[in-house]
Amino acid sequence: MKHARCIFDEGEHQWFAIVRDPDKPGYIIDTNEYIIRSGAELLLCDPGGIEVFPAVFSALCQVCDPQALKAVFASHQDPDIVSSLALWLEFNPDLKCYTSRLWTSFLPHFGGCAETFKSIPDEGIEIDLGSTTLHALPAHYLHSSGNFHLYDPKAKILFSGDVGAAMLPEGQDDLFVEDFDQHIRYAEGFHKRWMGSEKAKNQWCDRVAMLDVDMLCPQHGAIYRGKDVHRFIDWFRELEVGVASN
Amino acid sequence: MDVAAPEDTSEHIHDTELARIVRVNEEIKGIVATAFKINLMALNAIFLAKRAGHAARGFGVLSNELRRFAQDLTREMTQLREMTANTVSTVTGVVQQKRLNGILDEAVKRCPEPVSGEARVQQRGHEQLADKQGCLSALDKRLRRSLDDTAQLVELGGVLARSAKIEAAYGGNFSASLMQVSSDFGDVICLIQESLERLRHLRLT
Repeated sequence: MKHARCIFDEGEHQWFAIVRDPDKPGYIIDTNEYIIRSGAELLLCDPGGIEVFPAVFSALCQVCDPQALKAVFASHQDPDIVSSLALWLEFNPDLKCYTSRLWTSFLPHFGGCAETFKSIPDEGIEIDLGSTTLHALPAHYLHSSGNFHLYDPKAKILFSGDVGAAMLPEGQDDLFVEDFDQHIRYAEGFHKRWMGSEKAKNQWCDRVAMLDVDMLCPQHGAIYRGKDVHRFIDWFRELEVGVASN
Repeated sequence: MDVAAPEDTSEHIHDTELARIVRVNEEIKGIVATAFKINLMALNAIFLAKRAGHAARGFGVLSNELRRFAQDLTREMTQLREMTANTVSTVTGVVQQKRLNGILDEAVKRCPEPVSGEARVQQRGHEQLADKQGCLSALDKRLRRSLDDTAQLVELGGVLARSAKIEAAYGGNFSASLMQVSSDFGDVICLIQESLERLRHLRLT
């Protein structure tokens, strides 16, 4: 069973990470989901695929009242990101889904109706949640053509979707990156192949380097914190991306 | 977010299996939190009885009983929490299977000609749903039994709280504070009993 772990707690304002599913079949990629709570409102980042819905829903129930879930944030359109949408809507048909304007007519194939989707313009938007404001930051072509990350300036946390992801071997279940050099080997192949644009990558590095970030939370693998956040940005800047052996 | 927070969010949630299990889960989370308070109260009662010394000998015996009760309740609550977490997971599995079956049934209905093997596929989907619903019924029964056990245990807590009030009256100079501890204890027991009563009326299947 998946468990939700608190990674930031300032009373009314919390972040939970739902990570590592020991019961997940080996042929499905492991995903991290993040819950942001501000007062009586919750937002779920990349709610996950249809197959992991039971694990994610029950993990959320351990720490929060799911009736407080007002919205989900879909960084992009992939099935491991948001194919569970219809099931979340079974529970709360009024749920909103924030996603790139590029995907608002594609994601209804997973479920939902016109009222479900909150279209994010290319330049990004601010999203109010309880008493806090989150920033949807453009991350287009990293890896999807309509791609956003979510920054919480109060918690100094950046949800970075597939950027920072690592394909960790079985048994490496740490929540946080403990040894950067060891960890980054599992991120390299993924970033080279999945990140499609050098220009987009450099823009992202410039933008994120300017932010005050204590934790960089990817959708796969472990969380970077403290000095490792900037180590990752520097490493990413130097990496040649958009590479496939044809 | 431009969605106004409703006064009572449950009004906006359809009364589905998921909504019901969420209500059960939230109620149980509330009981667990209250049970934690009882632990602290029992410890407080023991310290008070020690300070009161000879005058509160009877209360001292009871406070040890209250402490034991609090530990039993915590153990019961841990089991109950695990059971509810499993139940939430099973209910979501049922919802998932129902949706898949619905999509499949609709697809079959729209086919102008019978499709080879369609009956087998539909049957498999419905068997999987029946299996999951069977698991859910079993979990529901176990959860009910566990709630009955908890209710009996809490009944004992109520008796201990009443006895503690009687003993508090003989606590000499400490009588008022011993009475306060016993009353607080009784109030918390009442809260748990009310929650258990509400849970009795919530069915999962």
